[in-house]
Amino acid sequence: MSNPIVSIKHLSKYFGNFHAVQDVNITVNQGDVYGFLGPNGAGKSTTMRCMLSLIQADKGSIELFGKSIQNHRSAILSQVGCLIEKPDFYKYLSAFQNLQIFSRISGKPSTKKEILAMLEFVGLEGREKDHVSGFSHGMRQRLGIAQTLLHEPELIVLDEPTTGLDPQGIIDMRNLILRLKNEQNKTIILSSHNLSEVELICNRMVIIHKGKSIVEGDVHALLNEEEQIIRLQTTSDAMPALLGLLHNQGSPIQINDNSVEMSISKEQIPNLNIQLVQAGIPIFAIEAKRKLEDYFINLLAS
Amino acid sequence: MIFLYSTYNELIKIALKPRSYLGLAAITGLVGIILFALKADGMSMISFVTASFEQTLRFEGEVLNGNLVAFIILQMLIVHIPLLVALVTGDLISGEAAMGTLRMLATKPISRRQLLGSKFLAGGIYTLLIVIWLGVLAVVVGRWLFGPGDLMVLNSDGLVILQENDVLWRYAGAFCVAFFALLTISNLSICLSCFSDNSIGPIVSTMAIILLFTIIGTLDVPVFDPIRPYLFTTHMASWRSFFEDPLPWESIRNSLVILTLHHVLFVTVALFAFNRKDITV
Repeated sequence: MSNPIVSIKHLSKYFGNFHAVQDVNITVNQGDVYGFLGPNGAGKSTTMRCMLSLIQADKGSIELFGKSIQNHRSAILSQVGCLIEKPDFYKYLSAFQNLQIFSRISGKPSTKKEILAMLEFVGLEGREKDHVSGFSHGMRQRLGIAQTLLHEPELIVLDEPTTGLDPQGIIDMRNLILRLKNEQNKTIILSSHNLSEVELICNRMVIIHKGKSIVEGDVHALLNEEEQIIRLQTTSDAMPALLGLLHNQGSPIQINDNSVEMSISKEQIPNLNIQLVQAGIPIFAIEAKRKLEDYFINLLAS
Repeated sequence: MIFLYSTYNELIKIALKPRSYLGLAAITGLVGIILFALKADGMSMISFVTASFEQTLRFEGEVLNGNLVAFIILQMLIVHIPLLVALVTGDLISGEAAMGTLRMLATKPISRRQLLGSKFLAGGIYTLLIVIWLGVLAVVVGRWLFGPGDLMVLNSDGLVILQENDVLWRYAGAFCVAFFALLTISNLSICLSCFSDNSIGPIVSTMAIILLFTIIGTLDVPVFDPIRPYLFTTHMASWRSFFEDPLPWESIRNSLVILTLHHVLFVTVALFAFNRKDITV
């Protein structure tokens, strides 16, 4: 039986007449990397803000580490590191001074050495004395991550952590999240618009739409990972032969001028590859498509 | 402990924010101009005031001395100090909301009551520093440039002359009361700051309230008579009572009570509002 770190039940929040969140239910277990998905304005940020007591819920209960956030706010937040929306800092202070400010009230003040080590960890070594006003968005994002991790929290809440990062930064962030999970068994809640990122990193997820949690569960189970969507690319001339061969393998789901997409079980893929070679059909690419994107779009459409 | 850390944070932020030095620079510049003007042409100004008494009184010694200069400076500047105080304290909550750092602070394990309390304390310390700086420039620099002497004060009851050895403690008392009155401005602007997410709103609102209450206080209209004694602006100049002889203790005590009630009101309203505030920016 997993140990729930976050348990949100029947959460509702109104802003005037607008029902921002309606009856949201979420359970995040110890060690989960939990994806928070939904289109803009779906209620992801409102749910996260309620969870961190930035805004007060109108209905429902929110428990973190088995305690109510309303009654044990300080004790709970000392175990939480979070980066909500964009990383905002005091622009007239240096990176080091900013971390010092947040560290002092984190419940576990860090030493100068620890702050410098954290700045090095996020790739901001040598920039500790620079004012944040001169930082790019990506650098602020990294500083935000440093602020989140500095007091070694058990639960990490990251809202769009890769926004503004360059490709290497995105890979670094992904690796960092996996390291935090695998090496330190941290529980991570990750809100993202990048579906492939969630598919790669998260083991559980919730999809929020129009303020409601419409799906919650294990990512691999939800996506039926036994089945794989693949795209085969060939020439226009070879298309009839390809379609003829695929007819026996399953139904193509999308046919273009020189490519075909189809759903196929993972075990069948090597066999299909051999048959294509034996049939002499020129294949330029066999790509496995990310399924979450289709799943997400189909779910919202339905 | 976290409250002390938070107060230290607030003081660091005030100390490193360029805006905080506007007040100190403005006071320095204004006092400098007043001192220069009095040094250059002070006697003619004094003669203008003393001329009406010269048929019945004979003035001996330096009338324009450091004590009088300090009194003139205090009289002229104490009206402007609220703006300089509100410029920093009105920004303490709303400025953070506008920057987005309030969201970052509010996710830390410090209660909102402690966070707000540390801002009130830091705002009070900043106000105290402003008053001390004004005191240093007015009394210390004034006496250094113009020398000591008896203080001649003209008030509604007539001319009061205070002996040189009877003046300094009165200045100490006057600055304490002036600080207590300015603390009302600090608390008011922090209270207003809880209702806003931009930094200019609370500063302008504070000045608008001061202006409105001052106008109500000075308008000689009977309909305002019942509320006038309860407006904090009525008691902003109670520091002057320290330069009356005998000292009107009853009036000073009354002013301190009214100002204290305002402090309690502003802090209570701020706590209530800030605890319930949804941080959405």
